Amino acid sequence: MFEARLINSAHFKKVLDAIKDLLKEASFDCSESGIQLQAMDDAHVSLVFLTLRSDGFDKYRCDRNLTMGMNIENLSKIFKCSSNDDTVTMKAQDDADTVTFTFESKKQKISDYEMKLMNLDQEHLGIPETDFSCVIRMPSAEFARICRDLSQFGESIVISCTKEGVKFSTSGDIGSANIKLAQNNNFDKEEESVTIEMQEPVTLTFACRYLNFFTKATPLAQQVQLSMSDNVPLVVEYQIPDLGQICYYLAPKIEEDEN
Amino acid sequence: MGILGFSKLLADVAPHAIKEMELKHYFGRKVAIDASMCLYQFLIAVRNDSGQLATADGETTSHLLGTFYRTIRLLENGIKPVYVFDGKPPDLKAGELTKRAAKREEAQKALDKATEAGDASDMDKFSRRLVKVTKHHAEECKQLLTLMGVPYIDAPCEAEAQCAAMVKAGKVFATATEDMDALTFGSNVLLRHLTFSEARKMPIQEIHLDKVLEGFNFTQKEFIDLCILLGCDYTDSIRGIGPKRAFELMKKHKSIDDILKNIDKEKYVPPADWNIDVVRNLFIEPVIADPETIDLKWGEPDEEGMVKYLCGEKQFNEERVRNGVKKLMKARSGTTQGRLDGFFKVLSSTPAKRKPEDSKKNTPNKRGKVGAGKGRGRPK
Repeated sequence: MFEARLINSAHFKKVLDAIKDLLKEASFDCSESGIQLQAMDDAHVSLVFLTLRSDGFDKYRCDRNLTMGMNIENLSKIFKCSSNDDTVTMKAQDDADTVTFTFESKKQKISDYEMKLMNLDQEHLGIPETDFSCVIRMPSAEFARICRDLSQFGESIVISCTKEGVKFSTSGDIGSANIKLAQNNNFDKEEESVTIEMQEPVTLTFACRYLNFFTKATPLAQQVQLSMSDNVPLVVEYQIPDLGQICYYLAPKIEEDEN
Repeated sequence: MGILGFSKLLADVAPHAIKEMELKHYFGRKVAIDASMCLYQFLIAVRNDSGQLATADGETTSHLLGTFYRTIRLLENGIKPVYVFDGKPPDLKAGELTKRAAKREEAQKALDKATEAGDASDMDKFSRRLVKVTKHHAEECKQLLTLMGVPYIDAPCEAEAQCAAMVKAGKVFATATEDMDALTFGSNVLLRHLTFSEARKMPIQEIHLDKVLEGFNFTQKEFIDLCILLGCDYTDSIRGIGPKRAFELMKKHKSIDDILKNIDKEKYVPPADWNIDVVRNLFIEPVIADPETIDLKWGEPDEEGMVKYLCGEKQFNEERVRNGVKKLMKARSGTTQGRLDGFFKVLSSTPAKRKPEDSKKNTPNKRGKVGAGKGRGRPK
């Protein structure tokens, strides 16, 4: 028997918004410690790794480990039927074919939705522990803005991190664009700080399209952390307060001609 | 061509070995293309009302047009193709080739008859059956590929075998052919429909050999026996045993030798002097060039050379050719998106658990799709 309850369905809605552009379907792995989801997009360019800790829920029970394959679009449809302040309860029997979502509104309204589970082929990827050359923390809204602005000019964004700061740049048919952010420790408002931990400078190129998918997680956290090293995927990390975290991995673009 | 009834059997027994993907998901992949197969496709499919495309002197150009545009399409999608041409056919194929020649003769006769009667649809039908990929076609394509900066390889013997060896050596990601033989030769990944026209909107079928073997519960050796039993190009098979029966017999007896010991030889007559070991060996140790010695390089396209060749000699429209070259140049410039599977290791893959029910539901559907692709291969 699996049961998980959140006071505000809005939290879960935001999580869904953060993954639904990347994944059409995905498996939620439920265990005693919480719910995890690890999946690559169809093209195997990016990977989403979502963790929702059991203590982040108001009630959590998972007697046996269970994997629920779900169509994310349909799942979003169900959550669209709920109001933000509804309490949501997810329930599934062991070895069940379906999962139910119960929304309880403050006005004594109770709605039940049952959804069929799917069988999905799953590939679990081993993510090696990496010491990153650069770790950048910045306001998530700022990062979203930069990605959005730069994607008007070109298909890819070059992120280069040095001691002085971090530079986002792109170029395309109409011209080029550069945005520089300097380190800035704001002790009064920590969420507005830009901090950089750097071992050595790194410059990598990434597809705007994917970065814009990642920034859909912006409402979940005030800060975002970007970790980069040469020739390894970028990690974009959002800490969801009191509930867990969502990490995105993105393979860099590589220069041609090393056949 | 390929193994009779195999794709249907595969869809029935091991449906999860077949994945359907979109072309754009193959960016960054190197793919070995069975050139004879795709030239044949082009000669059949690239046509106008009066038959194959040709220059004013009646020289066919369908294969060049196909090679030009579809290679551009692959490159635009970030795929790096290498074409592999057939060499000398193995001696065992002689029987198969004689049969094909006989069929062609028949088609020629039927075509003559249809021409006399003036039946246009029959004329078209039989002229398609007459199509043959000649050395001349292959040479012209090689010349074009060189100008486009796309590598090609002359296999010493069968192209599929060479492709399979390159996949095994990790030189390329997959073999692209319609022919299931590539699996028998041990190509880990097989792509079907890769060189189909964009207009047909056919998804790419990706078939993984390890999943096929897992689904069938066979070793590669048993799998080869099954393919021989189903009928391959190199030998006749036992009359009266279809795909389903062949599969059941293989499940039970695990090798052709044991099957022969156990079946009623009066009813099912094996071919006289059936030399299975030689055929098996052809699959296990085919004549190939060592893939390690092959250096694959995708070079700069030669615009003027292409214009001179295609427009000058072959009377293509210059504007279209130049546009095509522009696309080629664009595909070469800039960076390629990396793939995550290059960075992370797959720890475990769990195939869907409740698959049995699922596959039953899917099979009729899949069968339909496979059926639709039928008849696109080389003539038997």
